[in-house]
Amino acid sequence: MIPKKFDYYSPGSLKEAIRLLRQNEEAKVLAGGQSLLPLMKLRLAAPTALVDISKLADLSYIRDEGNYLAIGALAAHDAVEHDVTIKDRFTLINDAVARIGDQQVRNLGTIGGSVCHADPAADLPVALLVADARFVIEGEGGKRIVTARDFFVDLFTTAVGHDEILTELQVPYLAERSGSAYFKHSLREADFAIANVGTIITMEGDGKRCREARIGFGSAGPTPVRAASAEQYLRERPLDEGTIAEAAERAIEGASPPSDVHGSREYRLKMIKVLTQRSLRLALSRVGLAGGGVER
Amino acid sequence: MSGRNVRVAKADELTEVSIRINGKEYRGEVEPRTLLVYFLRDELNLTGTHVGCDTGHCGACTVVVDGRAVKSCMVLAVQAIGAEILTVEGLAEGEKLHPIQEAFTENHGLQCGFCTPGLLMSTLALLRENPHPTEADIRRGIEGNLCRCTGYVNVVKSVRAAARALSEARKEGSP
Amino acid sequence: MSTIMELSKKEPEGRVEDPRLLMGKGRYVDDLKFEGQAYMGIVRSPFAHARIRGIDFSKAQSSPDFIAALTGEDLIKEGVTTVMQNQWPPQKPARRYHLAVGKVRFTGEPVAAILVRQKNSLEDLLELVEVDYDPIPAVTSIEESKAGTVLVYEEWGNNLSQSGDEKWGSAEMAIASAPHVIRATEGIARQESAPIEPHSALVRYRKEEEVYEVYATVQSVHGLRERLASELGMPEKKFHVKVMDMGGGFGSKGAQSYPEPLLACIFSRRTGLPVKWTATRTEEFLEAASGRDEYCDITLACDKDGKIIAIRANLECDVGVTGTQNHMSMLSMWTLLGQYRVPNVEVHMAAYTTNKMPLGPVRGAGAPEGCYFIERAMDIMARKMGLDPLELRRRNLLAEKPGKEDHVGLINDLVGMAGYEQLLKWKSEVNSRYTLQGPSHSNLVAGLGVSYGGRSGFGGDETQDEGWGSEKSPEGRSDDWSSQGGADQWQKNSQDSRGWNSEEKSEGGSPSWSGSDGDGGAELDFESEYARVTLDRKGNVTVYTGSSPHGQGIETTFAQLASEELNVPLDRVSVVWGDSVRVPMGIGTFGSRSAVTGGSAVVDASRKLKARLADISKGALVDASTNRSGLPTIAEALEKQGLAELSAESIYKVRSMNYSSGIHLCALTLDVELGKAKIVKYVVVEDCGRIINKKVVEGQLHGGVVHAIGGALLEKLGYDGQGNLLTTTFMDYCIPTSLDSPDIEVYHEITPSTDALNGAKGVGESGTIVGYAAVMNALNDALSNVRPGAQVNLVPATPDSILAAIAGE
Repeated sequence: MIPKKFDYYSPGSLKEAIRLLRQNEEAKVLAGGQSLLPLMKLRLAAPTALVDISKLADLSYIRDEGNYLAIGALAAHDAVEHDVTIKDRFTLINDAVARIGDQQVRNLGTIGGSVCHADPAADLPVALLVADARFVIEGEGGKRIVTARDFFVDLFTTAVGHDEILTELQVPYLAERSGSAYFKHSLREADFAIANVGTIITMEGDGKRCREARIGFGSAGPTPVRAASAEQYLRERPLDEGTIAEAAERAIEGASPPSDVHGSREYRLKMIKVLTQRSLRLALSRVGLAGGGVER
Repeated sequence: MSGRNVRVAKADELTEVSIRINGKEYRGEVEPRTLLVYFLRDELNLTGTHVGCDTGHCGACTVVVDGRAVKSCMVLAVQAIGAEILTVEGLAEGEKLHPIQEAFTENHGLQCGFCTPGLLMSTLALLRENPHPTEADIRRGIEGNLCRCTGYVNVVKSVRAAARALSEARKEGSP
Repeated sequence: MSTIMELSKKEPEGRVEDPRLLMGKGRYVDDLKFEGQAYMGIVRSPFAHARIRGIDFSKAQSSPDFIAALTGEDLIKEGVTTVMQNQWPPQKPARRYHLAVGKVRFTGEPVAAILVRQKNSLEDLLELVEVDYDPIPAVTSIEESKAGTVLVYEEWGNNLSQSGDEKWGSAEMAIASAPHVIRATEGIARQESAPIEPHSALVRYRKEEEVYEVYATVQSVHGLRERLASELGMPEKKFHVKVMDMGGGFGSKGAQSYPEPLLACIFSRRTGLPVKWTATRTEEFLEAASGRDEYCDITLACDKDGKIIAIRANLECDVGVTGTQNHMSMLSMWTLLGQYRVPNVEVHMAAYTTNKMPLGPVRGAGAPEGCYFIERAMDIMARKMGLDPLELRRRNLLAEKPGKEDHVGLINDLVGMAGYEQLLKWKSEVNSRYTLQGPSHSNLVAGLGVSYGGRSGFGGDETQDEGWGSEKSPEGRSDDWSSQGGADQWQKNSQDSRGWNSEEKSEGGSPSWSGSDGDGGAELDFESEYARVTLDRKGNVTVYTGSSPHGQGIETTFAQLASEELNVPLDRVSVVWGDSVRVPMGIGTFGSRSAVTGGSAVVDASRKLKARLADISKGALVDASTNRSGLPTIAEALEKQGLAELSAESIYKVRSMNYSSGIHLCALTLDVELGKAKIVKYVVVEDCGRIINKKVVEGQLHGGVVHAIGGALLEKLGYDGQGNLLTTTFMDYCIPTSLDSPDIEVYHEITPSTDALNGAKGVGESGTIVGYAAVMNALNDALSNVRPGAQVNLVPATPDSILAAIAGE
């Protein structure tokens, strides 16, 4: 219950934080602590130093940057959940963040902390991968931007180097006639996903055919996955029960969910299919609503 | 959390901290790894906040930090410097129960009482954010507080009653 | 015929215990501190089954925070006995020590204990203790246990812990000729109490008096005193055991003998320091006695009118390494018969030992299992016969008898209270909307389930008489204890118990008691409880009880009882419990017994007190009320006798234990694609006799039902192939949250108990006992609309098992 010993640093600036990381090989970044502290309390993680960036207020914002929305890495889940622009224009992110933990966890946990933790069953990585978010990483050498596909590298591993810090997420606005949705299937609401799927649909001008479909899922491999085959299939096809079902069948290509005490592999694959269908249907129903859907 | 805090705290040393709890400054010495809940319970003898699990799931340790419900077992004491913390000990005025506490006793919203302080603090934060919650809002708001005794039926009833009581008090002009 | 009750005028608005609990001033064991206390930690086995080759403390000892260590060998040298094990029902002795000696038998079993100066160093130093294990294959299931290739206790020769039979009439013949026979394989996985407060102990050895002052999270301080005395080989008076507030127990803090209080006693005596220990939640999962893990192959036979002709069942239970209490599967055997007339019975039970933590009582302690097994079978039979499930119950429930619940009446109440007909309509509408095709399809089916039950069978419910055929089997009824033989810690032969009072205590200022040392006073046992009630010159009443509240509101309800009997305002009555010196004897709170036994003792003692007050006041105004004119009377009366206070004791033994009966109805929807059930309505109509405090009773029912919902849909202790426990956090072991629990409606009939002096019947576990089947019958009803014949009878019915049933796997 009590973590192993560590030195604690609370730097006054991002630059100082990065320097401290460089100086301490086993240091870890502490943001909201809602993923890291439980691991440390169980002694499954034992960094010898924590660099607390949670006080860096200038990393907590949600800003319109013209053709994308910029979310500061330290934006708390709760703030993101209540943000009207996100609810309006990136409903799947709102869906996802609303399913993270419980109110207390959402009050302290941060977007950046959650994605850097990179639990394969987590909610945000799936939504952000589907949304083709970009990740702004800062190190001593300056900033670099990484795509979502390159950001999630492996189980609990991201592209963020040891002496780098994720500072911002950039989510490109969706085209007109888009809708999105995220579904999570778990035993209880707050539990980690047994299966989770996010989708974004953009329809053609005639409103009948799908111009672009983005489908992604988690809990089925070391990182969240985009269902390329299913996405390809839906392009320029009408979206009806038949095509949605076919897309769901194709979605599980590339899915390798585990078998464990919460469910077998077969069961999880079945759930990915079901959630894909439901997510596509809901995303479709949200097309044409202001910005991409608010109705649930 | 807002405010200035300690810049460096070394693993093998005790660091003096000063934290505002229930409107009062409390001093103590902590290791960096001292969790806020243990600082409250062991250093300050504020044992109303309880520990029920290891992984931040039960919510028995919930306190209010800068107006938000937070699990004090998932916060380091050193992180809490400069924050305004409210614990269950700060709800009543002397022997006079807070309206939320009144609502819980009138509606039998507690049995063994172990999860209760955490529930009260979650309720306080919930009702400040959403003064007129629906049953669904309430159940979602207290999702992070596990109770094994009540089955939540009377807890929900208590929170509803508390919302009504606080609303009445606001109408009458009391804070 | 009884009536729906009105709110008693004497019920207080809130409970007496509420203010301190609400203000965070509760005194739970971990809240307590002694100056200079040291901290104890336990080194636990990471293997389910392994030989211990050696234990090395040298690394830990090099720390300045290290104080002392203990191993199993040290305990043997101290003369500590093996872990206490009740011999009722008769079972094989499971000899193991509080710290494993020679080999470990379950993951998490304590292997060594250390004492350290600082709380923060405890886990650091625990990690430095090195234990050399030689793993051996583990027995991880009943199948493996039966096979006997690996023995948990070598001296047994096999892995069978106990077995039992219940038999009358001829079930075999009856089944062979019955027009309606169903058979089902049912089961409940290993589940646990999971109170939110973990176990904790704080011990201070007082050297001058040679007394151990022990604070511990226990449902009976006297029980712990007895265990410590027995295991440490010392007289009980050397232990002053206390508990104040406790964060739930649900059985796990009951009679199971855990090592920590004993180890803390030894450490405290050896070092002269107070010793504190508190379990982490992980340790709770590893060590706390868990429950259920029972499986039943049941055959139910009915005649053409749906009257039960026979029940045949084979019960198997995984008791882990075998705990202190092992009566759960016996209780299942009895409750398996429900509240029905059953002329032919053949039930066999076997409990198998495995390499898992010991099994112990978990809310209902065998009764939820038994009730689930029969009520699920009744539902399957109703479906087979095309009968309404309520009607099938009506035709079989025992007729109303004086003092007993009107079973059929409760069912008829339910029809009205729950709006049964409207629910049937609703169900039909939801199911007709259900199709699997089309984007606007509905994925929801609906189901309704009912369950009837109580804790009957335990205590020799004489209404079973109605169910007998002309021939009794030679073994007689299983609850006829004289035929059982063996040590009988729990029950005397039901034939010779009657309401039994202790002799009045001698008058005089200081309390003393005429105990149960063979002077003809009643012996304390499961059907009795101790109380003492005192009245001082100021008119304050103090109730001392052997009961031990941890959420049940006893501090309020027992004060209500004394207040009523003595006509004293409630705020003049205080209740004392949880102190083995101030309350010299007691049995404790568990098994739905406190209102009945503890409450009766309070009433009895209060009545005796009232009589004595009348006696010494010799006809003067003897109203014990403390209105201003009453005060001088009491003070004068006492003063005249030279008494500081007046006191009366009782060890009250009820003629037989009484429990509530009730009908539960659960309505749920099932998402057919996800396998997720959502309960949309839950109704309880029950009869727990006189209701002392309506909110308290309903709170117990709410909590009990939600515990059953968790058990039916969410909870399971999961193991891997090597016997390692996988579910060691609240993330993996899923108890219901506020989002998993429905609103619950409760309605009451009142048929006062004729055995309890206060007319009450035990209700603490009723919600859990009856709830499992209500949920599972509703779920299976819903499933029948998806694919006829689809059934889930193994609990928890998690989404994957539901989907597998739909798919016909």
